[in-house]
Amino acid sequence: MREITRYGFTLALICVIAAGLLAGVNSLTRSKIAAQALAEEQMALKEVMPKAEKFAEVKSAQQVLYYKALDGQDKLIGFVFKASGKGYSSVIETLVGIFLDDRISAVKVISLNETPGLGMRVTENSFTGQFSNRDALDLSGVQAISGATISSRAVMDSIVKKTQEIRELTKNEK
Amino acid sequence: MRNNLIVSGSPHIHKQESIPRIMWTVVISLIPAGVAGVIIFGLDALWVTLVALVAAVLTEIIFEVLTKKKITVMDGSAVITGILLAYNLPSGVPLWLPIVGAVFSIAIGKQVFGGLGQNIFNPALIGRVFLMASWPKYMTTFVKPLSYDTIASATPLAALKEGKILEHISYLDLFLGKRGGCIGEVCILALLIGAAILLYKGYISWHIPATYIFTTAVFTYIFGAKQLFHGDWLFHILSGGLILGAFFMATDYVATPLTAKGQLIFGVGCGLLTAIIRIWGGYPEGVSYAILMMNAATPFIDRYTKNRIYGTS
Amino acid sequence: MRDLIKEFTKGIIKENPTFVLALGLCPTLAVSVSVANAIGMGVAATFVLLGSSVIISLVKNFIPNKIRIPCFIVIIATFVTIIELCLKAYSPVLDRALGIYVPLIVVNCIVLGRAEAFACKNNFISSFFDGLGMGVGFTLALILISAIREFLGSGQILGHTLIKGFEPVFVFGMPSGALLVIGLLLGLFNLIKSRKA
Repeated sequence: MREITRYGFTLALICVIAAGLLAGVNSLTRSKIAAQALAEEQMALKEVMPKAEKFAEVKSAQQVLYYKALDGQDKLIGFVFKASGKGYSSVIETLVGIFLDDRISAVKVISLNETPGLGMRVTENSFTGQFSNRDALDLSGVQAISGATISSRAVMDSIVKKTQEIRELTKNEK
Repeated sequence: MRNNLIVSGSPHIHKQESIPRIMWTVVISLIPAGVAGVIIFGLDALWVTLVALVAAVLTEIIFEVLTKKKITVMDGSAVITGILLAYNLPSGVPLWLPIVGAVFSIAIGKQVFGGLGQNIFNPALIGRVFLMASWPKYMTTFVKPLSYDTIASATPLAALKEGKILEHISYLDLFLGKRGGCIGEVCILALLIGAAILLYKGYISWHIPATYIFTTAVFTYIFGAKQLFHGDWLFHILSGGLILGAFFMATDYVATPLTAKGQLIFGVGCGLLTAIIRIWGGYPEGVSYAILMMNAATPFIDRYTKNRIYGTS
Repeated sequence: MRDLIKEFTKGIIKENPTFVLALGLCPTLAVSVSVANAIGMGVAATFVLLGSSVIISLVKNFIPNKIRIPCFIVIIATFVTIIELCLKAYSPVLDRALGIYVPLIVVNCIVLGRAEAFACKNNFISSFFDGLGMGVGFTLALILISAIREFLGSGQILGHTLIKGFEPVFVFGMPSGALLVIGLLLGLFNLIKSRKA
């Protein structure tokens, strides 16, 4: 019985010291981590919507639905949202910036796990660059990557579908 | 390869069968499919095959010289590996591709395991899968049949996978090989001639090819279409590399089970995996992966299907 | 002094954690896609090894034998969490690249293995050198594997293209390529060892 008390006490002591140490490091790094995450998000948003100065989240029950893109005078110039579609071997997630007239500003692929050399090429500029200045509701002019039709289609279809959803959501704001 | 061998008391008669003799017969049985490939896809097909063959033989010689082993190229097994690898490639590939594939097949697929008789996997398929994973762009660009030009064309299976409707292709076209595909897999007629030679000679048994093809047919018939029992099983037999795989690669002596019972299990396993990959998998074609996976399972199949030795418990 | 140098150098070749002891292969397979990731993972693991080895050898008399494993795990986990927080705060790019593998250092067999096999039996100075040697050995092994994989798999080293017109062998960028490279290197190490003997 005394043994167990001693073991418990030793382990508890080690845990307390470890917890104290972690609490210290956490308080030192917390603000920095939050700032990093924010900066990263802003940078990604800026990439697909370079004309905007600021972005405002539109949330519904903790989930970010889309971002409003605002210019220098806080005027609404477009929206940024995430679209995702089932590709060849993974879900391809893209960040899309559209102007108020549904013209695409830019598209950036944020996460995917497709076949290297085929589906993975949807991240290349030769593919994503084609989206700029196109009507987000009609992407029929975008050339699919040869040999990776399924991945290409997944990107296009998911963008069209999500744009329609966003249009419904933002009907009152325009 | 017959089972239920009965070893009686001496004298024994020596039959004129040896590894080289069997292997060179296999080489001969592969020639019709190659000739058909050249007729369908043009001279490119011939160059790809020759380059793969020479590269495989040279790799074997170099490896055996370096490791100071007996030079065994005359047994013909490296020649078979080279030819089978080439038969699994599209005809329009750049010529360095069959070279890299053949070096990989022989060096990594065969020699590092200890040479002929020691390899776990079919070396030609190892080479093909390596090329498929490394340069998918070249490996999935097929040449249109009888055009003798580099017009890209999808294989019927790939078209099916992408949800396109198959048109202008009849069962007769598929049987004669008038379709996009790999050099040696397209002409079913030529493959069956080669397979008939091997079966007649008794160098391969019917167990694996028959169960393999039958299982794939049944499974694709049941699950191949949106509605159960409406799958196009004949299409699945005639397209892709099923016939080439079933007769020439799933019957590899080294990496397949020894007993008839084991071979039946092996064939059914290959058939199931092929059908599953084709219907639900990521790739349009699953023959090579199915055979490789069953190669890996061979030691276990052998262990559980060992013939009982009489007189022991 | 000579003993300490020996404790340090043994981890690099003779008892290399990856190629000889074959420890910690899971993170090795996963992060060896690029040299940059390998260096990051190696440095992080070395830091954890050093810290945990020294602390464990210092408190070894205080820890009862029967509960030594949970104590070791707590100490190692603390170090790993500190590293993870620092990475997140100061190098988010590396943090994203290493992903889940940093928290997984906790269960990396090298760290617990050295604590169990060395640090809890030796003083803190030799434990320091043992941890450092093992960490450096692990890092070098990772760099070697990832250099081969990055060059073959993408034609680059640290993001610089070496040969123009080289067609990358994608398979080396995939997990199967990691298994191939590690397998062949293990074979090579054994070959050299058997030649020497």
